[in-house]
Amino acid sequence: MGSNSTEVVSKKGTGLWLCLYFKQLPVEIFSRGGPAAGTPVVVTTRQRILYSNQAAKDAGIRIGSSTDTAYTLSSEIVSFERNEEKEFSALSHLAQWAYQFTPGVSIKAPHSLVLDIKGCLKLFAGLENLKSQMREKLPELGYTANIGVYSTPLAALCFAEGLAEGSAEADSSKALQSLPITCLRADEKIIESLGQLGIRDIGGLLELPMDGLSRRYGVFFADYLQRLIGEKPDPQKFISEIPRFFSDITFLSDVTNIQSLMFPVKRLLSELCHFLLARQLCINQMTFKLSHRSHEPKSFSIYLANPENDEGMFLALTQLQLDKITDMPEVDNLCLIANTFYPADSVSGDLFHSMHLRGQAHNKTDPGHASRLLNMFRARLGPQTCFGLSLANDHRPEKAWKSVRLNQKNYWFPDNEKEANPRPLYLLNVPQELKTTDHLPYIGGQLELIRGPERIDFGWWDGNDSARDYYIGRHQCGALYWVFFEASSSNWYLHGIFS
Amino acid sequence: MSRHRPPPEELLPEALSPEKLSLEALSLEELSPEELSPEQLWQRAGLWRASSIDCNFTKGVPTGFKVLDEHLPGHGWPADGVTELLHEQYGIGELRLLTPALAHLSQEQNRWLLWVSPPYIPYPPALLNAGIDLTSVLIVKPKTTGDTLWVLEKALSSKSCSAVLAWPGNINAKQIRRLQVASKKGNSWSILFRPGSAAQHASPAELRIQLFAASSPHTSTSINLKILKRRGGWATGMINLHFSDKLNQVAPDFQAPVTDFCEQPLFKIDGRSNGLKLH
Repeated sequence: MGSNSTEVVSKKGTGLWLCLYFKQLPVEIFSRGGPAAGTPVVVTTRQRILYSNQAAKDAGIRIGSSTDTAYTLSSEIVSFERNEEKEFSALSHLAQWAYQFTPGVSIKAPHSLVLDIKGCLKLFAGLENLKSQMREKLPELGYTANIGVYSTPLAALCFAEGLAEGSAEADSSKALQSLPITCLRADEKIIESLGQLGIRDIGGLLELPMDGLSRRYGVFFADYLQRLIGEKPDPQKFISEIPRFFSDITFLSDVTNIQSLMFPVKRLLSELCHFLLARQLCINQMTFKLSHRSHEPKSFSIYLANPENDEGMFLALTQLQLDKITDMPEVDNLCLIANTFYPADSVSGDLFHSMHLRGQAHNKTDPGHASRLLNMFRARLGPQTCFGLSLANDHRPEKAWKSVRLNQKNYWFPDNEKEANPRPLYLLNVPQELKTTDHLPYIGGQLELIRGPERIDFGWWDGNDSARDYYIGRHQCGALYWVFFEASSSNWYLHGIFS
Repeated sequence: MSRHRPPPEELLPEALSPEKLSLEALSLEELSPEELSPEQLWQRAGLWRASSIDCNFTKGVPTGFKVLDEHLPGHGWPADGVTELLHEQYGIGELRLLTPALAHLSQEQNRWLLWVSPPYIPYPPALLNAGIDLTSVLIVKPKTTGDTLWVLEKALSSKSCSAVLAWPGNINAKQIRRLQVASKKGNSWSILFRPGSAAQHASPAELRIQLFAASSPHTSTSINLKILKRRGGWATGMINLHFSDKLNQVAPDFQAPVTDFCEQPLFKIDGRSNGLKLH
């Protein structure tokens, strides 16, 4: 049936659409994580039961009866007021979930999703396989859905919504014609009126001339029918994915040894990496939160030099962070959050990668290596302890440089030529005042001035006037120092070492 | 060679052809050992002399000093081993000795030049003047000795550093041995700056050089060094290297610097230390 139907559909139309109809969504949003299975759950509006689960049906509760009747029939019944907002948010979540199958996911309120599956059939090895994957995964989330497939989105919707739960799904065009007209998403008056005309199924409706239908029931209905059968294009509004990762693990018993958290951490990270891979994203920051009911929660973040998606590295960095935690005696919940995402660089691997690099293995290294090292340093030593050096646009020696976070765009290079005057390889953070003997600076021994002076003037623009004469001084032991004489204070200072 | 029958003049250009060589070898074989010169004997016996360090060492990083290159195995700094530089004072040229090689590495290789807790800021304008690509420079300042050693070992074995410069303070032979192994694994050059007193203790470092200050009459400064340990050779005597820095420009007027406008009385204090000491 499966392959046959696919054939029919792809021959007929250009697209292939799959509709997921969450018939029980209003009940399931309450029952999936809430009361135990087997408890009758009903959803009501103004004391009338709108939806019920299987257990409630088994207890004899009918849709449309009053809450009082329901309570009479079963004392265990759990009743919820219908919450359409929550239904829609659940539906949006399901849309995000469905994103794993195809990028074309469209929400059809109130309870359906339409997926463009034309492009992903090959990836999931056929329609039947895709459907069975969905049927397997949905109950894990606590939802059930009817699946309808057709070459137009509206017809797929009709199939999914029109079929009773559990019945076989029909996909062929003949099946569309045999669908009752009540499946159509049209005004109830039109459906009623069509019923009075003696039309029972869509096949009968389509036999009528389109002009007549348009005149009698309006352009919109005719347009709807044309989109339904694929005679008119029916562009869909697809959801755009909002990436946000949150996942947590609650332990049944308290974890007292921090090291034994590595296994759940590995699980969370692997989940995160799959999440990132599916979306072709990278992260450069993630946060772990350890909590326990009787302690303050503790969280730690992992920062990466560059956005990455590398489970092994994440794990190593987390290990380094966990090693540092000493003040968390027990943990009963662990969660991982990632909010900021970057698009992944699509670097295509080289088929002859290893052979190509063998000759110059040490000249060109994988840039990932370098940032991995940096990430490890940052994780263990803290982000402030690793930095790079750059020039700064200032002629004052102490401000002619800056430490930079290692990012290419932070570096500044002058446009003109290099500094002509010699500069020492070591600079003191703060110039050190020197004693003098015979008008010459003294550092445990007299300095012989062997080069200079180089006048550096600054501060005249803001009143902090300072003029410095820089000299290279040779100590009697042979070392070369960069010293300056400050005219305003008449002091000698040591500012650098020609090491 | 004098006893050997000289080949006819016209055959000389073809002397390198295989037939000629085999003839030559054959005639050498025929001679008795007493008839051979020492050079021929060495060739014949396949002897290796400790004085010739031109054996199969992996090519080192060019030091930028011809004199030093000649003394080092592989004609350069070991690209994958620990080099110890022992010196007492800062400022005698211990970094200027390395800058040509560091510049070479930073330009040739797309790897970090890692500085682990340098005593002062490596001044970027000076690094740039020396030809070092600043984007490859990475400074790490671990707080404890344990962290320093961890950083060194990880960096050396990670394959992502071309050179790692470190001022490790107290470090023992066992730890240097681990760094040497890590250097080999990651193909990184590790440079340890240690106090001169460390020369008295044995070290598993591949190359150990003691540095001494030198005064130079030229415009450029110089440094004296003694190779204490190297592969394929003995320790050397004092070697003098000239830098091309032109720091030394003694002009007559420097003897009396411009301090006329200094009205305050200048006082003299005896300093006990002798320069800025290492450690």
